[in-house]
Amino acid sequence: MMELKKTHIYAYHLENGNIVDFGGYAMPIWYEGIIPEHHSVRNSCGIFDTSHMGRVWAEGPDVVKFLDYVVTNDASSLSDSKGLYTVMCKPDGGIIDDLIFYRVNNEKFLVVYNASNRKKDFEWLNKNSKGFKVKLTDVSDNVAMIALQGPSAVQVLQKVCQTDVNSIKRFHLAELNISEEDCLAARTGYTGEDGFEIFVIDSPLEKPEKALKIWNKLIENGAKPCGLGARDSLRLEAGLWLYGNEINEDTNPIEAGLKWTIKMNKNYFIGKKAIQQIIENGIQRNLVGLMLTERGIPRHGYEIFDGEKQIGIVTSGGMSPTLEAGIALGYVPPDYKKVGTEISVKIRNNFVKGKVVKHRPFYDESKYGWKRNK
Amino acid sequence: MTDEIKVVSGFYYTKEHEWAKPQEDGTVLVGIDDYAQGQLHEIVYVELPKVESDVVQGKSIGAVESVKAVSDMFSPISGKIIEVNQDLLDNPDKINKDPYGEGWIAKIQPTNLETDLAKLYDSEKYKTYLGTLKH
Repeated sequence: MMELKKTHIYAYHLENGNIVDFGGYAMPIWYEGIIPEHHSVRNSCGIFDTSHMGRVWAEGPDVVKFLDYVVTNDASSLSDSKGLYTVMCKPDGGIIDDLIFYRVNNEKFLVVYNASNRKKDFEWLNKNSKGFKVKLTDVSDNVAMIALQGPSAVQVLQKVCQTDVNSIKRFHLAELNISEEDCLAARTGYTGEDGFEIFVIDSPLEKPEKALKIWNKLIENGAKPCGLGARDSLRLEAGLWLYGNEINEDTNPIEAGLKWTIKMNKNYFIGKKAIQQIIENGIQRNLVGLMLTERGIPRHGYEIFDGEKQIGIVTSGGMSPTLEAGIALGYVPPDYKKVGTEISVKIRNNFVKGKVVKHRPFYDESKYGWKRNK
Repeated sequence: MTDEIKVVSGFYYTKEHEWAKPQEDGTVLVGIDDYAQGQLHEIVYVELPKVESDVVQGKSIGAVESVKAVSDMFSPISGKIIEVNQDLLDNPDKINKDPYGEGWIAKIQPTNLETDLAKLYDSEKYKTYLGTLKH
């Protein structure tokens, strides 16, 4: 068996977590359990090791032009310290990956993408950077990444910072000294909750002490360690896309509900022509949210039915700990996308009833998530 | 995961980690064992067999689901399902808390009990078998 790659926080996982092979990385699926970890993020504060993700510095006088060429969203719209969610596509409109980048200044961006696509994305970015004055540096192994998420993430982080962490606004990145170490912190995440993604700079894999110190400090100050299991159930409740499930090279951003990340008024970006065609011709399927109204747990790959007719497929599913019901994301033809439409999901030999629901997020935003009523 | 796996004497076990416990009235209770509940962790749903259905030793009679995984449940013995543990629909975690007691899954009227039990492990042999598994 190939030896699994390890992150900066591996020593902690080994001692406290249940480790699985996640795309070649030794990552914790849970520590205490997925359900209590999930609730900690919805109700107080959880902490995740996300150091398996890809982190790249994109630098040079052409960096804005380059990003605008390679992604669908508008890099030129960003002011310093602002971040942006986007996808990058192939010429046929299929999605290479979804990613976030942050503008440090007009010649320096931090680009963050999925762990499962690290090699592919870096090659794709490099290949398409020809002709641009831009330098790409993969710093994934020199910068640890930790996500602190939940309604009390601000209070937990404040305990180990001298400066006001609330001065970092949603989707912004700032330098932040965390327990006497220089970091970058972004007010972003993958749970639907308020929180931060912390980049521990100058923190090589071989010398993980700095990253481990910050990790342990945050736990001492009230963050509950959470594994990939809770990370997945939280992102599903928030209705967020998972590369490999909702999106891949055979899905386009329009059917995936990502039209809002596409700026057709840009002169050019890779995939623009194909996406223009897709918009003009219309799409064959839509990504929708489903909630089962009977008992059962929908899962990836299960078929969606209208009576006896199969109409689609579940891309992600599970038991929502917050809503205590089976929820799913899946593709159905446009005729079925309206909220309230009754469908069923085939679970083993049973057709379990459900309906199309609002899904970004699935939960009531006045009670949960970063927009909740305080 | 490091907790000792509980094996109770008087129960019969399958390689797939189900148990069967003959009752005084001639019926047999079945469920999944401590090893199986520990592997699944956090059980959130149980698909119970149908009452009155005929079941065959080694064949699927339902499923137990945790947050991340689905596990088929295979009947440890042949017979007819005469009762199922309805309580598990609302409290599936009883299998985690008490796999050999309140977490029982079904009651079977056996058709071939002695032959079926002879194919299962008793608690001592089952402990030896567990020792051969990596966990």
